[in-house]
Amino acid sequence: MNQDNTSPSQQPASYQHWRTDTDTDGVLWLTLDRAGEAVNSLGQAVLDELERIVTEVERKPPTGLVLMSGKPGSFIAGADVREFDQVPDAATARGYIMRVHALFDRIEALSCPTAVAFEGFCLGGGLELALCFNYRIARDVPATKIGFPEVQLGIYPGFGGSARTIHKLGGHRALPLILQARNLNARQARALGLVDQVIGRHEELRWAARRAVLAKKRSAGPDLQAQLANSAPARSALVPYIRKQTAAKAKPEHYPAPFALIDAFAAQGGNRRGLLNAEVDNVARLLTGDTSRNLRRVFGLMERLKAEGKGTDFKPARVHVVGAGVMGGDIAAWCALRGLEVTLQDRELALIEPALKRAQQLFRKRLRSPAKVAAASGRLRADVAGAGVARADVVIEAIFENLEAKQTLFRELEPKLRPHALLATNTSALQLRDLAAALARPERLIGLHFFNPVAQMPLVEVVYDPDLTDPAEAKRGAAVAAAIGKFPLPVKSRPGFLVNRVLAAYMVKALQLHKQGYSKEALDAAAERFGMPMGPVELADTVGLDVGLSVMRILAGDTQALEAELETYVTAGKKGKKTGEGLYRWQDGKPVKDANATQGADLDGLARQLIEPYLEECEAALAEGIVADADLLDAGMVFGTGFPPFRGGPLHYLRNRGPAAPPPPETAPIDRSADVSQEGEQP
Amino acid sequence: MNSLRRIAVIGGVRIPFSRANTAYADETNLDMLSAAIEAVVDRFGLAGVKIDELAAGAVTSHSKDWNLAREALLSTKLSPLTPGTTLQMACGTSLQAALLLGDRIASGAIDCAIAAGTDTASDAPIVFSRRFAQRLVQLSRARSLSERLQVFKGFNPSELTPQSPRNAEPRTGLSMGEHCERMAKQWSIGRAEQDQWALDSHQRAHAAWENGFFDRLVVPYAGATRDNNIRADSSLEQLAKLKPVFDKSGKGTLTAANSTPLTDGAAAVLLASEEWARARNLPVQAYITAGRTAAVDFVHDEGLLMAPTVAVAELLQRTGLALQDFDIYEIHEAFAAQVLCTLKAWNDDDYCRNRLGLERALGEIDRAKINPHGSSVAVGHPFAATGARILATLAEELEQRGSGRGLVSICTAGGMGTVAILERP
Repeated sequence: MNQDNTSPSQQPASYQHWRTDTDTDGVLWLTLDRAGEAVNSLGQAVLDELERIVTEVERKPPTGLVLMSGKPGSFIAGADVREFDQVPDAATARGYIMRVHALFDRIEALSCPTAVAFEGFCLGGGLELALCFNYRIARDVPATKIGFPEVQLGIYPGFGGSARTIHKLGGHRALPLILQARNLNARQARALGLVDQVIGRHEELRWAARRAVLAKKRSAGPDLQAQLANSAPARSALVPYIRKQTAAKAKPEHYPAPFALIDAFAAQGGNRRGLLNAEVDNVARLLTGDTSRNLRRVFGLMERLKAEGKGTDFKPARVHVVGAGVMGGDIAAWCALRGLEVTLQDRELALIEPALKRAQQLFRKRLRSPAKVAAASGRLRADVAGAGVARADVVIEAIFENLEAKQTLFRELEPKLRPHALLATNTSALQLRDLAAALARPERLIGLHFFNPVAQMPLVEVVYDPDLTDPAEAKRGAAVAAAIGKFPLPVKSRPGFLVNRVLAAYMVKALQLHKQGYSKEALDAAAERFGMPMGPVELADTVGLDVGLSVMRILAGDTQALEAELETYVTAGKKGKKTGEGLYRWQDGKPVKDANATQGADLDGLARQLIEPYLEECEAALAEGIVADADLLDAGMVFGTGFPPFRGGPLHYLRNRGPAAPPPPETAPIDRSADVSQEGEQP
Repeated sequence: MNSLRRIAVIGGVRIPFSRANTAYADETNLDMLSAAIEAVVDRFGLAGVKIDELAAGAVTSHSKDWNLAREALLSTKLSPLTPGTTLQMACGTSLQAALLLGDRIASGAIDCAIAAGTDTASDAPIVFSRRFAQRLVQLSRARSLSERLQVFKGFNPSELTPQSPRNAEPRTGLSMGEHCERMAKQWSIGRAEQDQWALDSHQRAHAAWENGFFDRLVVPYAGATRDNNIRADSSLEQLAKLKPVFDKSGKGTLTAANSTPLTDGAAAVLLASEEWARARNLPVQAYITAGRTAAVDFVHDEGLLMAPTVAVAELLQRTGLALQDFDIYEIHEAFAAQVLCTLKAWNDDDYCRNRLGLERALGEIDRAKINPHGSSVAVGHPFAATGARILATLAEELEQRGSGRGLVSICTAGGMGTVAILERP
């Protein structure tokens, strides 16, 4: 237990969110412990109190001032995003930012030595506050994450963070950090200069901080490299490069924040005052703009999906996967990567070995350290005999799409399962009702529908049948997805569930338009211009035309003609990316596109035509109750199909795009010329 | 004084054991020991609790870890008011710690204790030669340039060669394996029986994992969820193909497979008086009813790892038990050959009369009762952690059986052996 270090001399000033204690050395220990919340964030009330404390410190400077967190294992997660939504207009935002700037400037100007000592999250506003102190100490534990996530919310650091970081590190180090919203560990942050000292897990923050303030340690100023990088000549070379790199990932018209920051750096270099003024203008404008609102909405949707995985005490430790094909193998590898113990079963070892090999590549790519790779490899074991079934908390079936085969397997599995074990199928084609018919306890079967490639796709559809499935099992399925770092989306067991159903409508439309004479390239460019991460034709090839065909058949829409055409591709062995040719020819994992094929196409009009069936299908799915509400649907489509986050989700987009953009009448393939210089993908 | 109290084993936990330079390549003794102690804290709800004494150690340790036990517990949720003693008795470390702490519980001096051990072969302390270290000390005292130059008089670059700890007996210069080869020859232990012993150990350990026996005894650590040395799929044919590693003359019988691998890991056990356990509502798994430590004169060519034969003989005499009066035997497998030599010696009239001072041989033991869940050849052997691993394993087994008596036997470097009896009435 911590001892109470308050000395009798200290005025018992009382704060709701802060504790202040003075020790025998005269060091003032300032502890942020935001009332009523598990995690510290810098809300208005927290900053108001800090202002009072700073006034007190200015009046009577202590020997040293140390800022720490009262939340075990974490520091400050950022500004209070919930308060952003209450900012009515840019003028109010400006006033708020200027007030924070003034407060942070005063902290930086304190006459006594100051230090921050932390572990866990030090993000956004928390890092900006830390940057006002003389010296920063971080504890090197896995939970320590240091960075600026702001651009993901459509703004950039506005509490002086952009100014202080660019000034200190130089634009060449600061801009990539902020633009990529990269989280650093303690050692990386020290290497970059954001943190001055790193201590190990068996050392104490408190004593390191005491040493720092008593020795009056100060973080070094900008090094020569930083000063050079911020100079006008270097900037003129650096800025176009960074702008190009950034534009390759996000279009300025979709995501203005990164470009506003780059422009501010181009104009100001390392000039702190200029950068601070730019923060006031830019961040106030961005914060109250549509993009940031929509991105904050998407952030909230993400939290909503994560919350779907909470509320059970189910903590899966062992997973058994049956079927070592592409999906089964990659699901097994992903579970092992995320720390679960996994057994992977197939008929013979030779069928499992390719999956183990792919898993090794995944482990090496994601974990880097040989020790971590060795540990992960130890967590994934081939299990031809199926010994893992009787020990597993979760059994996932991922064999080929055949009802009888799956039913036979379920009959074999069921008597071997532990009483609490979760039984899931990765089917995308079959209905739970039919599969579960083989079980003595059909209510226990759920679907865990992963998307290919498993390592890249964040969404998992948790499939249930409202007339059959035990809701507790679906809840536990969501907990499994959350435990492996995926976003669970509960969906009803109906053909195509949510994601495939909507994507199919969209791809069918694209293929129909293609048949009418629009080039593949124009269709893809139009979708990307709308903000989709990948055009529909390229997507069809990437998913595999055979897979697409089977989805179309499941959905049993009015698409016989298209199906017949796709069939000719598939039978000719042109299944898409995986065979080297589909609708496109593929080279080095990329489709070969004719740059001239988009000439003259009305991409905006085309995009509207393409997206219309997508939106219609979303509305139909909502009306049928495939997902519980519009927010969940939007969440699913953003994280399952990459629907442009800056648009806030398809239904949100539909309700907010206004009457200005009705679906255009079908236009001729070749229309007015259009500027198609902006191509590329979003992250 | 009061009469002696019973020493209760509440239970133990370890982290998975990992072959050197695999999953724990980045972990230190301090990291792993903290993790093992924390696992005991979590299992028995000891967060914030003051334990009367914690004793732990490591064999391969850095000089900076001079207060290892205390530093490790400060990195756990235990009350920081818990004292920690760092001690070391080679491979017997954590069993010896348990016996010493157990006696203090029995005497009434303390009510609860944690015995623990850790070892790493992946973070070996590497130091300069004695000669160069002395120069550095002199350099720090030198005041003038000429004095400083004087320090490096006669300097030889070979002094800079880093010295890593050798896995050899300081007095004989022979490695543990070389000593065990000599024992195997002396007792005529063949290659085939060693391989068979090793294979059994692996299969038993694998079965223990598969049937969930280790579920309560092992907690995941640093991404590892299981011991990574256990090979369920090997066969006698495969083992027979391996080349001897210590005696390469063609007469050697010890291979990488029938010897313990260099291993990283840690284990901890909670001991208590019955009153303390009752007050905290913790069930007792078993009681430590006797312990004994002995040594052999290996310098004059007694078998280096034969001391447990002596310790067990003395323990049996003092308790009036026969070697066959046990339901389970947990005999640490430094090498398969070491166990086989020990068993053969106990069954040898000549050895038992002349060396152990008994009237006749102690006799045979049923193989099925020895190491029912495998032992060090399979799960690995982080030296100082092995005693706590075995205590926890045996206590768990006794609890599952409901009642019984078990014998623990551990041989150590330096020709020592430490043994104990666990009972569950």
